[in-house]
Amino acid sequence: MEAVQVLMDNLWVAIGAILVFFMLGGFILLEAGSTRMKNAGHVAGKTIFTAGIGTLVFWAVGYGFIYGEGNAFIGLSNFFYGDASAADGGLTPAVDFSFQVMFALVSLTIAFGGFAERAKLGAYVIFAVLFSAFIYPVVAHWIWGGGWLAEHGKQDFAGSTVVHLTGAMAALAATMILKPRIGKYNKNGTSNNLAGHNQVYTTLGVLILWVGWFGFNGASTFGVSDGFLGYVILNTQLAAAAGAVAAMFTAWAVTGKADIPTTLNGALAGLVAITASCGFVAPWAAVIIGLVGGLMVVFSMKLFDGLKLDDPIAALSVHGTVGVWGTLSNGLFALPALSTDIDWGQAGLFYGGGWEQLGVQTLGVVASGIYAFVVSFIILKVMDKVMGGLRVTEEEEIMGLDISEHGSYGYPEQMALEQAKLTTAATKEKFS
Amino acid sequence: METYEAIKQWKDANITAFFKSNRSLNEFHDQIMRKVFQVASDKLNQPPPCDYAWFITGSGGRFEQGRISDQDHGIVYEQSTDANNEYFIKLGEEISYGLDVVGYPYCTGNIMSSNPIWCKSFEHWKLQLVNWMEKETWETIRYVQIFYDARVLVGKSSLIEQLKSTIYQYQLEHPTLIRAFMTNIKHIKNGIGPMGQFLVEPYGGYQGCINLKYTAFLPYVNSIRLLSIKEGIFETSTIDRIYRLMEMEKYHELLQNCTEYFEVLTKYRLSLTEAEDYDDTHYLHVKQLTKDERKELKRILLEGKRLHDEVKKRF
Repeated sequence: MEAVQVLMDNLWVAIGAILVFFMLGGFILLEAGSTRMKNAGHVAGKTIFTAGIGTLVFWAVGYGFIYGEGNAFIGLSNFFYGDASAADGGLTPAVDFSFQVMFALVSLTIAFGGFAERAKLGAYVIFAVLFSAFIYPVVAHWIWGGGWLAEHGKQDFAGSTVVHLTGAMAALAATMILKPRIGKYNKNGTSNNLAGHNQVYTTLGVLILWVGWFGFNGASTFGVSDGFLGYVILNTQLAAAAGAVAAMFTAWAVTGKADIPTTLNGALAGLVAITASCGFVAPWAAVIIGLVGGLMVVFSMKLFDGLKLDDPIAALSVHGTVGVWGTLSNGLFALPALSTDIDWGQAGLFYGGGWEQLGVQTLGVVASGIYAFVVSFIILKVMDKVMGGLRVTEEEEIMGLDISEHGSYGYPEQMALEQAKLTTAATKEKFS
Repeated sequence: METYEAIKQWKDANITAFFKSNRSLNEFHDQIMRKVFQVASDKLNQPPPCDYAWFITGSGGRFEQGRISDQDHGIVYEQSTDANNEYFIKLGEEISYGLDVVGYPYCTGNIMSSNPIWCKSFEHWKLQLVNWMEKETWETIRYVQIFYDARVLVGKSSLIEQLKSTIYQYQLEHPTLIRAFMTNIKHIKNGIGPMGQFLVEPYGGYQGCINLKYTAFLPYVNSIRLLSIKEGIFETSTIDRIYRLMEMEKYHELLQNCTEYFEVLTKYRLSLTEAEDYDDTHYLHVKQLTKDERKELKRILLEGKRLHDEVKKRF
C-alpha cells in the first residue's frame, strides 16, 4: 500500500509539473493577445527561449541556491543538479526538481510582463539569467529552502510570495526603468488605451492559466494522501470564479461597460489571491478572497495607470497587488484545523488566532517584496548603463519588435498591408 | 468679402464676440454660411436657374451649433432638368469647398449639397423621402430624421415645409413607421453609472471628460424630434419644438422640466468655446465643475434618460 502511495504522490506532482509548465502556454496567449499585432511574434516567442534560459540556469545554480546547504540567506550546494536516486518514501528528487523549475519559469514569465512591447531582446536574455540565479532563488530559499523566513510559520501554500510577488516586483522595476510605451500618455497627462490585438487569445490564455493553476496549487500538496488536493482545487476554482464575477461587475459599475480584459484579469486575480491561502482556508473564505481580489484588480489597474506606470499585461496589479492581498488573507481566514493543529503557523484573526499570523504574513511580503524590487532595480539599472539602454529605439518600437528583434512579423500579411498603407498606392495594389 | 479666405479671417476675428448666448452664436454661424453661399454662387457666374432652398441640418439645422461644427446641408430646387441638376450639384460642390475653407470641416457622413442624394429637385426629393420611409432600413430612416432637422438659410422655405408635410402625412398613414424611427435612436450612451456617478471617458485625450453630445444632448434631441415628427411640428430647434409640444396637454407632464434643463445644457456647451477642434466642443471635464454644477448636470442627464425611456415606452 505504501508503495502505491509513493507512486501516486510522484505521479500527481509530475502531472502538477506538467500543468504548471503549461501555464506558460497561457501566458503566451495572454500576453500576445494583450499587446499589439506588430509585437505578437516577439511577445509569444520570447517566452520559449526565456523558458530555455531559465531552465538551464535553474539547473546549474538556481536549485542549489534554494535547497542547497547554506545559510539563512542562500543555499550553496547541489549545483548542476543530477540526483537520479529513486523515491525513498517520498518524491523522487527528479520529480521534485521538475516541479520546482516550473515555478521558477512562471515567476520569470511574470517578471517579463513588465518588459512588454519595448525592451531589447538582449535585455530579456541577460535578465533571464540574473533573475533565475539571484532573485527568485534567494526569496525561495528564505521561505521554502530553510532560510530565515522559513521557521517563522509563514503560510504560503503554493507560492504567492515566492512566485507571484517576486515576479511582479521585478516587473515593477522594469516598468519604472523602461518608461511607458510610445503613445501611451498624452501631453495633457491623459492616458490612451493601446488595446491588445486579440481578446480571444487573451481569453484562451486565461483559461489555460486557470487549468494550469490546478497543478500549481493542487500539486503543492506534494502528494495525494487524504485527497487533500481536491480541497485545494475546490478553493482554487471558487476563488477564480469569484474573481471573474467581481471584476466584471466592478468594471460595469465603474465604467458602465463589463469589459472583457478587466473580467479576464479578475479571474487571474482570483487565482493569484487564493494561491497562498488555498490550503488554509474554508471554501466560503476562498469565495471572499477571490471576490476581493477581483475588486482590487480593477482599482489597482486604474491606480498604476494614473501613476503613469505603463503595464500592458496588468502584471503589477494581478500578481503584485492581488498577490499581497492573497498572502495577507491567511492572517484573517486561516482555519485552526489547517494551521495551528498541524503546526503550520497560527489560525487567522477571524478564528481567534489574533494578529500574529497577519504579522508573519506581512513580514514575509515586505521582506521578499523589497528584496525582489531592490535587486531587480539595481540589476536593470546596471544593464541599462552597460547595454546603452534596455529599450529599443523609437523607430524600432514603432515598426514593432517582431521585425526589429527577430526579422519577421508574427502576422506577415497583415503587417505588410499596414506598411503599404503608409507607402505608395502601387504597393497597396500589390497586396490587394 | 469676396473670397472664402476673407470670410474665414472675418469669422476668426469676430466669433468670440458672439459667445455670449446660443442664439447670437448661431445667428453668427448663419450669417457666415450665407456669405459662403453668396461667394459660391457668385463663382458660378450664373444666377440659379429656378427657385430653390439651401438648407442646413444637424446641429446647425437645430440652431444648436457650438463654436465649431462640421457641415451638414442640402439643396432642394423646383424643376429637374439636366441643366438644373448640373448647376445645383456644381453649386453644392462649391459651397462644400467654401465651408471647409472657412472652418466647417467636410461632413464625414457626406451629408452635403455636393452629394446627389442631398441635392435634388423637389419631385425627386419627395420620391426619395417616400422611398426611404418605405424601405425602413436603419440607414434610410436615419436620413429621414436628418432631413427633419433641415432649416432653410437661403431660398424658399416652403419647399422644405412641403417635404416635411410629406413625412408627416406618410407617417399618419403608416402608424408603425414611428416605431422604426424609435428603433433608429434607441441606443444612447449612458452618462450616469449604476452608482450614480458620471461615466467619463476611460482613456484617450478626453480621459475624465463626459461626452456631452452623446450622453446629454442626443437623448433630448432625438426624443423631442421623434415627438415632433409624430405631431407634425416643423420647427427645428429642440427648444422651439419643446415649446410647441408643451402647447399640447398630453405632453405637459412628460416635458415639464425639459425646457429649463435643455437651456442649461446649451449653456454648458457654450462654456466649451475654448475648443480647438470639433471634438473638443463635446467634452466636458467633470472635475472642473463645482459641486452644484455636478449635481445639476446629473439631474439633467437623468432627466434626459427618463425622457428617452418614456418616449421609447410609448412607441
